[in-house]
Amino acid sequence: MNEQFRIAQRIGLMFRYDQDLPQDMEAWVQSQLQAPSPALGIPHAYAKVAQWPDELQPNLAKRAYMWRRYRALKKQEREGKNGQDTEAARQANRRNHLMREKDEHKFVQRNVYGADQVKLRLTAFWANHFTIGNTFDTGNMIGHAIDKGILAKLNGSFAEMLYGITTHPGMLTYLDNVWSAGERSEHAKGCHRRPNCHAGLNDNLGRELLELHTVSPAAGYSEDDIRGAANVLAGWGVDFQEELPGMRKKIGGINHWNAYKKRWAEPGTKKVMGQLIHAGRGGLRQLTDFLASHDHTINYISTKLCQHFVSDNPSKDQIESVKSAWRQGDGDLPTIHTQVFKLAIAAPEAKFVWPMTWLFQVVRLSGATYFKGWEDIDNYNNQLMSSKKVLKELGQSFWSLRQPNGYSDDRVDWMSAEMFERRIRFADAIHKNGNIRRSASEIMHRIGAAKQTRNLVASVGNSPRDQFIALMCSPELMGLEYV
Amino acid sequence: MSKSTVGRRNLLKAGAASLFLAGVPIAGFTKDKPLGSISVIILEGGLDGLAAIPPIGDADLMRMRQSISPASYLPLNDFFGLHPSLQFYAQLMARGQASAVHATAFPYTKRSHFEGQNMIEGGGLSPFSEKTGWLGRALELAGVAGRSLSLDMPLILRGHRDNDNFYPASIRGSGRPPADLVEMIAMGHQMDAAQMFTKVARKSEERVQVPRDPASLAAYAGRVMAQTDGPVASVIRVGGFDTHANQVEEGDTDAGQLARQLSVVDDVIAGYRRGLGKAWDDAIILTLTEFGRTVAVNGTLGTDHGYGSVGLLAGGALPSSRVVTNWPGLSKKDQFERRDLLATIDYRSVCAACLEKALGLDHDLIASQIFHQPDLPRVFEHLFA
Repeated sequence: MNEQFRIAQRIGLMFRYDQDLPQDMEAWVQSQLQAPSPALGIPHAYAKVAQWPDELQPNLAKRAYMWRRYRALKKQEREGKNGQDTEAARQANRRNHLMREKDEHKFVQRNVYGADQVKLRLTAFWANHFTIGNTFDTGNMIGHAIDKGILAKLNGSFAEMLYGITTHPGMLTYLDNVWSAGERSEHAKGCHRRPNCHAGLNDNLGRELLELHTVSPAAGYSEDDIRGAANVLAGWGVDFQEELPGMRKKIGGINHWNAYKKRWAEPGTKKVMGQLIHAGRGGLRQLTDFLASHDHTINYISTKLCQHFVSDNPSKDQIESVKSAWRQGDGDLPTIHTQVFKLAIAAPEAKFVWPMTWLFQVVRLSGATYFKGWEDIDNYNNQLMSSKKVLKELGQSFWSLRQPNGYSDDRVDWMSAEMFERRIRFADAIHKNGNIRRSASEIMHRIGAAKQTRNLVASVGNSPRDQFIALMCSPELMGLEYV
Repeated sequence: MSKSTVGRRNLLKAGAASLFLAGVPIAGFTKDKPLGSISVIILEGGLDGLAAIPPIGDADLMRMRQSISPASYLPLNDFFGLHPSLQFYAQLMARGQASAVHATAFPYTKRSHFEGQNMIEGGGLSPFSEKTGWLGRALELAGVAGRSLSLDMPLILRGHRDNDNFYPASIRGSGRPPADLVEMIAMGHQMDAAQMFTKVARKSEERVQVPRDPASLAAYAGRVMAQTDGPVASVIRVGGFDTHANQVEEGDTDAGQLARQLSVVDDVIAGYRRGLGKAWDDAIILTLTEFGRTVAVNGTLGTDHGYGSVGLLAGGALPSSRVVTNWPGLSKKDQFERRDLLATIDYRSVCAACLEKALGLDHDLIASQIFHQPDLPRVFEHLFA
């Protein structure tokens, strides 16, 4: 592949079929890091690319309201009240009050049409690092967390992103923290006096904050440290179910994304990995800042960034260079990302392309209209599946129910005949139903495909469909071999 | 915890399941089929063994866990009860075709899901020390070439080059890819990637429609395993056992997150029974989980990560029903690190016994070649004699 596409495959989503190619790639990478990120997409097939309308991108308060409304109408449906038990009412309730399908569709569309491809790849890395699985009650929150907790924070420091995502209702709900109360909290003490009242610590988020989000088990922390972190977290987050007025009273007039229930908080100083953490709301920021600049965090996440963008087995030197950029920039993400991309561009070996990344790249290269417009999201189309269904069949989605360690960066975890078969079938479906604007030979010419790739495509005969499938499933386009 | 959260969590964290089959002799492979079959149900998240098989004879249980112990347990003997969700399993128990091993775990005490899952699938001496899985290595050792069923290839089955997978697709606008096209693509690839595409080409003619719910997948697995040249091993993964919150429903200890997930396990076992038919007589099914949960209840009607748990076994290859245990007790001083059920039986020994029975492998060979632990105790007699 020529320089432009080689780099765009490695750290971006490929240049779209009709996009002008930059000449100075170093300058391009820098400009990409600062690129504006409007949510681009199409309202319906054959329409011009435009920004997603605001009404399809509600804020958290609106999302919480929708969730409560959904639950209330569900209750009426169960009780057979107000005509809510008809199929039409059920559908309307889902359509009007659940955000999951809209958010996932927006994510897919912006990955297909976005001009900020490098930031979108970084978003995928960090959204995976800070996995929020879809436990249904997080369904209205995941898209918001990705947009506002990850994408919008790419130009700040790691410490900012860590604090932001740790306090996001999506994370606080996914890992049960909204129900956790300090054992000596006012809430727990009051509760213990009442029969059948349960209140106390839940260490789920405290544990994963240490294990997955920051220092990793290599830091050798103890159960007491996990408990300490859980105690710092106790009181953070409110149930999306709660009415806003009641919540305001409880947490002092702050929004869902900064909600701290003093009565649920553990009083007193806590200790986590030798660090004393003050009581009160400020304790969490103190803890995440401590963890964000911890040597083990820097080592763990520098390694992970290298594994995602550079090599399954990055060298010590490569990791060290990212660590030193991290320290020099004091955790500034663009500084860290710049160093990672330097290594990625210079990497001598191929890097396996994730299924979802590959799908977006295939669609962008071919100019296909494989996804419906946002106005057609609820209309059945006998050729095009919903974004939700596509990513589910492909086997990779940020809206799936999965474990908090996210998707693997190691190619061996993706070696599966069934997953390879899906690549063939999606290449086939995109060619058949996606109204592609560029053929295999046109794409090969534009990207400067390697000789081996051209030979492979030639070997399958003259069928444009077979050629398209062979190209997209070639070692070069799947990131399996550098040729 | 507020009452309003309880019903809502009902729907949650009910993990998806996926199925893997392994050990189908490939065409032209003449090795005799081993004596039995082995199927593993991986319970992701960490099963609370004290709720699945509550030790009702231990006075400390109700003292410490009344709020989450199933009220309508089915008595197994004077000491152990069975969670009411395990109805089919209970019938098998009554017929001498199910057993349990209690206070057991892999030798991993750090309480991380991901290290723990890597240990129970990899079967190595420490987390992330193995690139292949214990079942995959066993199939390799038994000389059974095969395939597996699933979208991804789980670690537990890796280690045999000819293991393959299968998982029904549903993609609008795409048909079965023609074998000759896929073969050409395979030729353009190298090493493991070439192998994958070769497998796609090989099975491109055998698409069948199977629903993807766990019980249907298990029934399908059973049917395929029952065929003369069918697989000898399969794996199903069931998520949703990480019951930090609302393990039971407030006011109903027989219901809740754990009750729902145990019903799934019960359905999976029933699915295997249905699908296996006559092959049930030589079959062993066993559960596998990364750790048990704390003895104490946490503040959200749930339990946090622990150590010892329970293993459920089923299948016609079992000679009788028993609860095998060396009960450590539940009092604070008997607990592991003053919080968890202690594991007194190494669950790798249980896996080894099942491999010995199903694949006819020698215990010493299993211990040294598969688990890299030559002195791994043999518990075969306790389960199969």
